[in-house]
Amino acid sequence: MTRPLNRRTVLRKLVAAPCVPLALATHVGATDYASAAEVFAAVDRLEAEVALRLRALAEATPGAKAFATSVLADHERQGRARERLRRRLGLAFSETARVEAGDLTSLEALRSAQEALVHAHAEGLPALGAAFAVDVMAGHLVELSRHLAVVDLWLEAEADRG
Amino acid sequence: MADRPRERLAVPRRDFVARIARAAAVAPAVVGLIEGSVEALPKGQDTDLAVLFAAIALEHQAIAVYDQGLKRDLFPPGLKGYATEFRGDHLGHRDTQVAIAEERGGRPPAPLGRYEMGALRTADELIRHALLIEVAAERAYQAVVSQIRTKDYLLSAAFILVDEVRHMTVWRRVLGLKIY
Repeated sequence: MTRPLNRRTVLRKLVAAPCVPLALATHVGATDYASAAEVFAAVDRLEAEVALRLRALAEATPGAKAFATSVLADHERQGRARERLRRRLGLAFSETARVEAGDLTSLEALRSAQEALVHAHAEGLPALGAAFAVDVMAGHLVELSRHLAVVDLWLEAEADRG
Repeated sequence: MADRPRERLAVPRRDFVARIARAAAVAPAVVGLIEGSVEALPKGQDTDLAVLFAAIALEHQAIAVYDQGLKRDLFPPGLKGYATEFRGDHLGHRDTQVAIAEERGGRPPAPLGRYEMGALRTADELIRHALLIEVAAERAYQAVVSQIRTKDYLLSAAFILVDEVRHMTVWRRVLGLKIY
């Protein structure tokens, strides 16, 4: 049931601590994106890593195939939505993100990559600079947070199995 | 368990979320945004505070549900850990947003004296109610997030949203509902 003390947990604990100035606390450990283009580039790269890991895990663990298929379909849809946002915001189109990652069938590594993808969305919202873009990316944040929660449940089930 | 309530839980309508928000004493303007009758709120400090107060009101309500369940020992032993963790998350969300509101000179809403929760006689009823509140909170945060003007609050709200989705996913899993 206990989860490792990750960056989100640290951030949350700091934010909740009354002695830490709020403006400082909310930025501890968070990536400060300078522009929407930077956010989209980070999201493209992290999404590609999650996809690579999920495909490898689905190959190695047949029970993971349905989840992987569902997540990859969400990625496809979200990628198209980001392209539309890029167009609306006048940004350059994305290039295919190149990813190098080891230990592809590690569930822990998938969790870390998924968490990084969720953080990029959360930390990227203030840099988007347009309410319509925040709306769309917040919707993606919700879907990706759900994927992260499913991976957490998967890890807990693996731990229970010993 | 009948199929219809299960289906209603799976796809809660906006009016249901608005009803929960109203029951938590959320301001009418923000309820309008949640139910889709208002496109956007006017820019400014008043809107930021209205959104903050709405979020705090929903956090009070969520804390009350978990308090009730834990006090009455309604969560099964295997799920008590989740309930305690989620209650702690909501306390953190409340405190964070109360601090932001006070920093801006606002007077955050206190919890209501009583929340309508129905009978809540069994673990199943309690978890279903907790799920409804989590869904309402998630939908409400998602509806108002683009109205937030300041970076610190937007960042906090985004991380709160991540927590709400985790809570929702866990309870859906416990109830045997679709999670992907």
